[in-house]
Amino acid sequence: MAMQTKERPVPNGVVLDLSGDLTYANREQFKTAVEAIRQKGCRHLILNMTDVRFVDSSGLGLLALVSQNFKLSQGKVSMLKPQSYVREIMSLANIQKLIPVYDNEQEALAGQKRAA
Amino acid sequence: MDEKVMKTVLVVDDEPTARIAMAARLKRLGYRVIEAVDGKSGLDALRRERPDLTILDWMMPDIDGPAFCERVRRDAELHTSQILMMTSHDQPEQIAEGLARGADDFLSKAASKYEIMARVQTGVRAASLIRRLEDVTEEIRRKQEMLERELQSAARYVESLLPSPGTLLPGVQMVHTYRPSLGLGGDLFNTVSWGDGVLGLYLLDASGHGVSASLRSASLATFLRRGNVLRHVGSTDPGAILTEANRQFPLTEDGHYFTIIFARLDTRNRTLSYATAGHNGAVLQRSSGELCWLAQPNLPLGFDDSTTYVTTDLTISPSDRLYLLSDGLYEVPDPNGELWGQERLEETIRRFGKAPMTEVVSGAVAEAIRWQRHEQFPDDVALMGVEVLDGDA
Repeated sequence: MAMQTKERPVPNGVVLDLSGDLTYANREQFKTAVEAIRQKGCRHLILNMTDVRFVDSSGLGLLALVSQNFKLSQGKVSMLKPQSYVREIMSLANIQKLIPVYDNEQEALAGQKRAA
Repeated sequence: MDEKVMKTVLVVDDEPTARIAMAARLKRLGYRVIEAVDGKSGLDALRRERPDLTILDWMMPDIDGPAFCERVRRDAELHTSQILMMTSHDQPEQIAEGLARGADDFLSKAASKYEIMARVQTGVRAASLIRRLEDVTEEIRRKQEMLERELQSAARYVESLLPSPGTLLPGVQMVHTYRPSLGLGGDLFNTVSWGDGVLGLYLLDASGHGVSASLRSASLATFLRRGNVLRHVGSTDPGAILTEANRQFPLTEDGHYFTIIFARLDTRNRTLSYATAGHNGAVLQRSSGELCWLAQPNLPLGFDDSTTYVTTDLTISPSDRLYLLSDGLYEVPDPNGELWGQERLEETIRRFGKAPMTEVVSGAVAEAIRWQRHEQFPDDVALMGVEVLDGDA
């Protein structure tokens, strides 16, 4: 399934609403969308995973890559509301150690570290 | 002529006057001309000379024009030949029949010099396009064949890296199976002999498929060789080995990485130690029949260079079996998309009970194949079973 991305500015950051599959087939689209946000000097990228159905092993690698790239430019990445299957994948790979996971946008913006 | 190379035209006509006149005309236009006096010698000339264009008379004894065309179209070698059929009575029905039986175009015997020139040029142009297409297809086929040979040679090399099944140490038996999804796999497993009754075992999975995944996994396997580990890690502790491997193998620029399980079997005190990095593929089957998955939620290698991977220790007993496996074994969908899954794999292992491990390993693969209803796995499949035997292990 294809992926749609929509960028939405919020105070002190950008929310990227994702929908569809975060997979090998959609990697260029995801990388381009995220890199455009980083180039603009965004310090906090919030990936809204509410409508992401599936993440494969390539998608997982991309998330790690994005998190590393933001760290290099003094930024950070958070994740919003991954759904059942995606949440399971994330926790098996312990990805929340790298990218904090939040259940709502306010908490993500405040950067409150709360186990999700 | 706009072509630098002289083009060849074959003229097939049993009537000498018409044939000679046509041949003379074509020669004046700059073509090389071959003449054939009937259908049979025409077919021979076509095969021998492979002309760019054949001009063919309809009315001939034995093999007439349409029959000639039919033979050419059925012939694997000749079927792309360009044929211009000549007729003295060009009725629409006759033209339709000629085209249906395999002619490419028609030329009336009463045609003007200009029309002949134009039709011949058209035929020659089509012939050169077809020839170019054939050449390119042939070139692609040759390159494809070369690539496949290289892939096969690389695949044989990767398989040569796999350990030989059998007795790893006195009292320790190993069996395995390996089925890469694309000939060349990103999964790899091996054993490392640490000496003094201590054994290292690992199974790794490079993300992605094919050549690049295979190269990456071969390079991690090289890092995990005995001498290299002792030199760079200075320890046989699985956690320490993965912690160092994590520093040595960062994410690639495409976000590729490894997941791995590394285990250490100490037969002196019957301890199994293991560490995992994003990998959830090891099952310990106790001699009692109880099964447990060896996995800790942990980042894959390369995700965060500050990660410390921690070793977990277990005591094992004689007849315990350890299966290291890639998720490609159980993440296989049935035709409705339902995955075979870890639980069904567990059931299969349980059902085999204490049957020889070779049967368990081949049985688990066969069961996964039955589930997906075809032989070809969507992902690499690797499975290594290790058993600690009764007695003086």
